[in-house]
Amino acid sequence: MPLEVQGKFVSQKINKVRWIPEEYVETKCFFTGSWDDDINTIKVWTLDNPDEDDEVDYPHELSSYPVEGDVTQIKFTDKNKIAVSLSNGDVKVLEISVYDKKLPLKELFHFKKLHNYGKEKCSCTSLDTLEGDIATVGEDGNVNILSGRRGEITRTIKEADSCSLHSVCFIKHNEAITGNLRGHMKIWDLRSSENKPAASFLLAGDELAATCIIHHPTQPHIILAGSESGSLAVWDLRMNAFPTSLVNAHTAGVNEMQFHPENPHKLITCSVSGELWEWNMEAMTKSSKGPDSQLVTWMPLDDKSSMMVNSLISALHKSINTLHCDKGRILCGADNEAIYLVKNFKY
Amino acid sequence: MNSSSFAFGAVQDRALTANTAKTFVLPDKCFKKYVGCAWGRGNKFTIYPYSHTESKTPNAAENSENKLLSIRQDVLLFRPILRRLVNESNGTYLSLQKAAETAKNSDNQVEFLKLSRQFRSIIRVCIESLQKASEQELNSDDRNTSSSYITIFFSIECIWHLCEILFVDSIPGDVVMPYLLEWVRFNFPCHEQTAGKLLEACERGAEDDKDYWDTVIGMIVQGRVDVARALLKLHSQGESNDFKLVDNSLRSMPVYNVYGGISTGEFQILWKHWQAECRSKLSSGVLSSQPKLELIIRLITGEYKAFESIRGRYSSWFDLLGGWVMFTAPWSRRHELGAAASACAGMAPGRTKLDDMVRALLEGDLHQLIHEIQQISDNGWFATHLTDMLFHCGKLKILDDHHNNVTAKVRESLILEYGSLLMEHKSLWSVGLSYLATVPPEGLRRAELILERIPIDTEAKAMRIVAEAKKYGIAGIAPSLSRCLCARHLQARRLGAALCWAVRARCPGAAQRAAHAALRHYTQAASLAARDLLLTAGPAVLLSDALLFLGKYCDFHRLYNSREFKKAGDLLVSLITSKIAPDYFWKTLLLDTLALLERDEPVFTSKDTYEIMLCLELKPSNLEAEKADLLRLALARNLARTALAEGEDPGEQ
Repeated sequence: MPLEVQGKFVSQKINKVRWIPEEYVETKCFFTGSWDDDINTIKVWTLDNPDEDDEVDYPHELSSYPVEGDVTQIKFTDKNKIAVSLSNGDVKVLEISVYDKKLPLKELFHFKKLHNYGKEKCSCTSLDTLEGDIATVGEDGNVNILSGRRGEITRTIKEADSCSLHSVCFIKHNEAITGNLRGHMKIWDLRSSENKPAASFLLAGDELAATCIIHHPTQPHIILAGSESGSLAVWDLRMNAFPTSLVNAHTAGVNEMQFHPENPHKLITCSVSGELWEWNMEAMTKSSKGPDSQLVTWMPLDDKSSMMVNSLISALHKSINTLHCDKGRILCGADNEAIYLVKNFKY
Repeated sequence: MNSSSFAFGAVQDRALTANTAKTFVLPDKCFKKYVGCAWGRGNKFTIYPYSHTESKTPNAAENSENKLLSIRQDVLLFRPILRRLVNESNGTYLSLQKAAETAKNSDNQVEFLKLSRQFRSIIRVCIESLQKASEQELNSDDRNTSSSYITIFFSIECIWHLCEILFVDSIPGDVVMPYLLEWVRFNFPCHEQTAGKLLEACERGAEDDKDYWDTVIGMIVQGRVDVARALLKLHSQGESNDFKLVDNSLRSMPVYNVYGGISTGEFQILWKHWQAECRSKLSSGVLSSQPKLELIIRLITGEYKAFESIRGRYSSWFDLLGGWVMFTAPWSRRHELGAAASACAGMAPGRTKLDDMVRALLEGDLHQLIHEIQQISDNGWFATHLTDMLFHCGKLKILDDHHNNVTAKVRESLILEYGSLLMEHKSLWSVGLSYLATVPPEGLRRAELILERIPIDTEAKAMRIVAEAKKYGIAGIAPSLSRCLCARHLQARRLGAALCWAVRARCPGAAQRAAHAALRHYTQAASLAARDLLLTAGPAVLLSDALLFLGKYCDFHRLYNSREFKKAGDLLVSLITSKIAPDYFWKTLLLDTLALLERDEPVFTSKDTYEIMLCLELKPSNLEAEKADLLRLALARNLARTALAEGEDPGEQ
């Protein structure tokens, strides 16, 4: 079946979308988080057709949870719990009922002004979760590690960076990587009490921000970062310092990327230029022996022609801020105040 | 200001007089004698009590009554339900600009028609969602506002559809009659359900239904002759001669078709002949026993009085327009509809705004039309999009008083107005920007001015504004915005962030200020700010002398801490001798040499030592006498050591 794209205008710029995982049935519900509006909200939606005369399902709003500031990130800490970072510096852990998704979201923990410039407000720009732990970063340059189960701050790295941090990703349970406004990446050993990074390197020489970081689902030592300039950098942490490859991809900043959960060879990225791309990473991830019999995992820099990139929807006029895939369906949220559902995606 | 209404916070006030200017009553007594006013961003202003004479004795009781009143335009389009319309139509608008770009080389009428339909479907969706919302509305006030919106968008749809028929679509031979009938059926459906019901039942004696005759007549004036004939057959006397006679007349009515193979002239002869036949049936009086049938014949012969007699059954004359054209001059071309419009409009007194618009449209007076639709209180959405559509289709020609063609100017001013309005909104600014960007150069300049004034609370927003501005080639935004953020961080003594934004701004001045702040901070707190930034800054440090110095000095610390004393010493000497250090930093630099002078291994050569000595003596005011003496001693000792060592090994010299 060909790709099918379905849009819905929701009257708010969507910064994050997340499918809500289901145990035995196809996922139907998802979260959206908005930004840049007078009052921003986290909404729960479901796909259905109330009239039953259509064969197509349309998103319908189930509940709405207003928040202060912009929603900057949503990640699951558990199957029905999400950690939400907000631009007023707060972090919230919210729970959605397993049985009735229409019920309003329940606030489990609220970390008020987790990130701050003293009394002044400061945005919590991103967070990542791993098995109930939450790592948050903010414009104040601090890193906080929270326990999503107990609702405590377990560790704070003060002034982890002298500029604002914009992205964070857990590499291992005790290791996280952060990226700042200048594309300076730092790896933190969370066990050490010293506030010094275990390693640091630059994304590119252009002094532009690292907007998102993810790691490869099956090879966690492989890290990908998206840049404000639209390029994509790949590191093999076994030999860090320089990116193994730096690909000029989108024409404007990469907003979010995700490896397809069912097929780690597929990477999906979205950008400020309004593009949604699918990458075939098979060629890039193939292991081969290098000249010095070292394992070379990622393709060499000069071999970019073999990369397979497909555009999934015709470019929008506004930024696509977020994407989330679930099997053959990809959700994305954009600055034209719409959410798009791409169906029949082959993975 | 062409505002429809104002909102004072939550309190809405009605206009008292509605002539050219509107009067609004302020909710409280806000000022006694004089009042001042200050404009804010967009259509927003603040009024405040203002006194010409400065009161020398501030009276607390008097001041407590003083209030600042912030007043803004209440914009319909900013309501969530209509924001969908704004966003969706923005996409179509941008596609239209693209299509117009390609149409410069080739004819692109089909694409324009497609986009025009897209606009209409967007309006339809909007009407539907408004209807749904108004059904769910519990509050009667809210329901009333919803229904007034529905009325607005219904008339917009109606006008757009007619415009599409008359000016966007390419109609074979320009014979608009079938399209006009379609327009009537689509926008003013009536009797359709009854007709469907009667035909479905398919029972004789359908005239028992009280709406039977109204339905038959309705079908006739909508030009649905087949349906009317089928309905007539359901009459219990359907087999009678009178009915057969009418049926025959209806059946034999010549239908004009451009591709019919006959010219208009020939057709007109056929038509006149048929009409004469019908009239002879009337005058013979065979139908006098059946007034309803007689009415049908009078209608299909295009008798004005007959149309006038049924006008009262319809809410507007648009219902009759299709039938009137069909039965008087079915060969009418688009520019010949004015007469039909005035004939139909004249059937009943009274006129509404919609009447004026439709008449202007049928008369082909697009200037008047645009003037009229600007009065619709949709904040210019319709006027902007329709004007743009007609402009690109090449159908718009507006002359000013001196007969200059001002079409492009009219379009531009509408788009500018609409775009600027949207840019006021917290979320819709990017939509507004994409409108302004389509009318360079004025639009881009306006956009630049507005973008600079958008409040920025997060870096994410700053980065998005910069990215959007870059997309449209507004180069000035990125540096000015970065400079602004740099200044903000600098004021709050967040030196790392300030340096970072100064570098992003590529602004030597800002970099200079931030670097000086960092250096001064070091002289006071003895800790170096933004070490991570400075060590990785690369060529960016070349922006300003101070930044370069700071970067080098930071490098000196790195070398010193990693115990590379020789290299650190060389760097320090080069910093001292280059004389780029700011005055307040000399003290620090000179004292830094002390630590290196005291090392077991000599770090400085005798030549270096002389240089340091020279500087020390040239800038005596920087050091307290005690410290200066200490340094002199250390320098002297180092000189002694190195002079000896260098003397032993002349090769090194």
